[in-house]
Amino acid sequence: MTEPAYPRSRHDYSNDAEELSALESAMDSTPRGAAIVSAIAVGLLLLAWLAIYFGVFLPRGTVG
Amino acid sequence: MAINESAILKSELRWTLVVAGIVTIILGAILFAALSMHINPPSNREYVDPKTVHLSSEFTEANLGTSIDPNGRVVGRMITTQFQFIPSCIVVPAETDVTLRFTSPDVIHGLLVTGTNVNTMVVPGYVAQVHTRFTKTGDLLMPCHEYCGLGHSQMLATVKVVPPELFKPDAQGRANCGDYR
Repeated sequence: MTEPAYPRSRHDYSNDAEELSALESAMDSTPRGAAIVSAIAVGLLLLAWLAIYFGVFLPRGTVG
Repeated sequence: MAINESAILKSELRWTLVVAGIVTIILGAILFAALSMHINPPSNREYVDPKTVHLSSEFTEANLGTSIDPNGRVVGRMITTQFQFIPSCIVVPAETDVTLRFTSPDVIHGLLVTGTNVNTMVVPGYVAQVHTRFTKTGDLLMPCHEYCGLGHSQMLATVKVVPPELFKPDAQGRANCGDYR
């Protein structure tokens, strides 16, 4: 039975400098992707709030 | 693997600024509505004895419904009780400042008028008051929106909004839904 060609865990990279630097560069760009996803999610939430506030709530008129 | 602490701090600070900006936008919109359009949460603090509501000068049976107060303001008075609004319909003129007053002799109720911003709790011992101005005419549904017991889902009333020129209270300044069919 032969060993699989792909690494079984992150620690398998530890002895391979080239793989390690590839992983580091991938991990460098990960936070940017997460920031973009959360910015889109929060932006959509804010837009929905503003749309309901100005499109539904305010036109319904005064109350107090 | 190296963790860049300053990069993490930077992104956290940036995110904090974004959140602070969003909170500022929302608070600004709320302030704008409150100051320029008079849209505020109803915040009347007025006490009434729930045991003697029906004997009070304001919420006796004869005084419920729509009336014109001595100062000329249209006031709708209702009692919310398990499981009905008394009266079950009030008539008000459109495009006119209206005050709605409610109280409860038994448990906590709540109400909203569909398609408007009228929305309040009715707590025994207090008078809930809402000032508003209806812009559209028609029969608006007003259900109880606070679970008040087994008959809660059957508890609803109607706000009949009529054109201001058709709103004609009687000599005592009172108006009933039955006169506006």
